Amino acid sequence: MVLAGVSESRGALGREALAYADGLYNLARYLTGNDADAEDLVQETYALALRAAGQFSTGTNLKAWLFRILRNAFISGYRRQRRNPTVGGLDTTDPHGQEAAPGGWPRDDMELDQMRNVVAEDIGKALMSLPEEARTVVLMDLEGFTEAEVAQVLDCAVGTVKSRLARARATLRQLLKDYAR
Amino acid sequence: MDCRESTSHLLDYQRGRLGPEREEELRAHLSGCPSCSRSESIERTLTDLLERRLPQHPAPIALKLRLAAQWPSPAVTKSSWWERWGRSWAPAGAVALLLFMAVPLYYQAVSSRRAGGAERMIAEAVNDHLRILQSGHPLEVESGNFHQVKPWFAGKLDFAPAVRFLGDPEFPLKGGSVGYFLDRKAAVFTYGYRLHVISLLVFRAESLPWPAGDTGGSGKARAYEKTARGFNVILWREGELGYALVSDVDPTELRRLAAKLGTA
Ligand SMILES: [Zn+2]
Repeated sequence: MVLAGVSESRGALGREALAYADGLYNLARYLTGNDADAEDLVQETYALALRAAGQFSTGTNLKAWLFRILRNAFISGYRRQRRNPTVGGLDTTDPHGQEAAPGGWPRDDMELDQMRNVVAEDIGKALMSLPEEARTVVLMDLEGFTEAEVAQVLDCAVGTVKSRLARARATLRQLLKDYAR
Repeated sequence: MDCRESTSHLLDYQRGRLGPEREEELRAHLSGCPSCSRSESIERTLTDLLERRLPQHPAPIALKLRLAAQWPSPAVTKSSWWERWGRSWAPAGAVALLLFMAVPLYYQAVSSRRAGGAERMIAEAVNDHLRILQSGHPLEVESGNFHQVKPWFAGKLDFAPAVRFLGDPEFPLKGGSVGYFLDRKAAVFTYGYRLHVISLLVFRAESLPWPAGDTGGSGKARAYEKTARGFNVILWREGELGYALVSDVDPTELRRLAAKLGTA
């Protein structure tokens, strides 16, 4: 038998949790690279969250908690069975990042204008070409998470998030500049 | 503030997370440093591109329905059938939870409580149709022969689903399955029309919030029609049974099928 109070708080938790489905799905879609895997990943995330709902204490950041569950689910095991092995790399070394970090700044205003004309598809492509962690950091930043919250989700220091975000953005700048050319 | 420091604060500055003092310092540096001010406008352009043009992937409705069905139902309102529904069938409560989340204005637009109930019936019919469309195995019994489909329901339902129309070349019967309509079981008959799928839900009519003006009397049933989330729904009752016809086909075509099924 479930106590009324428990079921009520779970209901409230569920209502709030479901409000983040779009943001979670968006991240899942950019992590897995396809809809079928993204659906599985989000469904698994909510199943895990539901199972762990007892451990969730009110007052903590539900949104960050769910994103953390999703990312951990993606890393642990999910990756083994994904349908598209060409994306979702977990390499911590950034193939573009090292050389892109110092550069990436458009040289003149014409380049900046060109960058403004990059089409949506290319922006998506550029993001997908980043390593998994860089994608996560960029998307979570767009979702409005603070660097401290992203650090909680990634289990790393705030300074690390800061430098990873800067590096990811430098790579994006470089890639978008190349697409615009 | 030097250039190095200024560059490292650009993102926080954009996000308004610097704090008034630091922000003032940065602004002072930017106004005197063309290089950093250039970097600032580039960072802003990149953020703008990402915020406005990066393709967004919202969760599909079918996934949201499945997610909502996983969570235990909350106590949503105090109206009687609603309460019963919440207690007796958690997934349905969860679907209501989803609707509550996705269409907050939906209920507010409905003035009377009675009409509100009808809206919920319409919403549920559309959800059922979506579930049928999204299900990997939409038909539990696949047959165009009504005399095979109807007996299949025996023992699976606590009522006999009376259906007058057995399908014809224009609206062929595809098969059937058992589903739910709010708090009760429903027989689901699936018809085709060209490339469209039409769902007919048959369920016990009692104690549902039927639209006002519906007397539930005998004879030809008076139908209630409504479009919700891109689907056309026709709702009616006849005797003990309620019927909901749902599809994306044109209202005129759907009405023709409803007429074959016995509506006035
Ligand atoms: Zn400077």
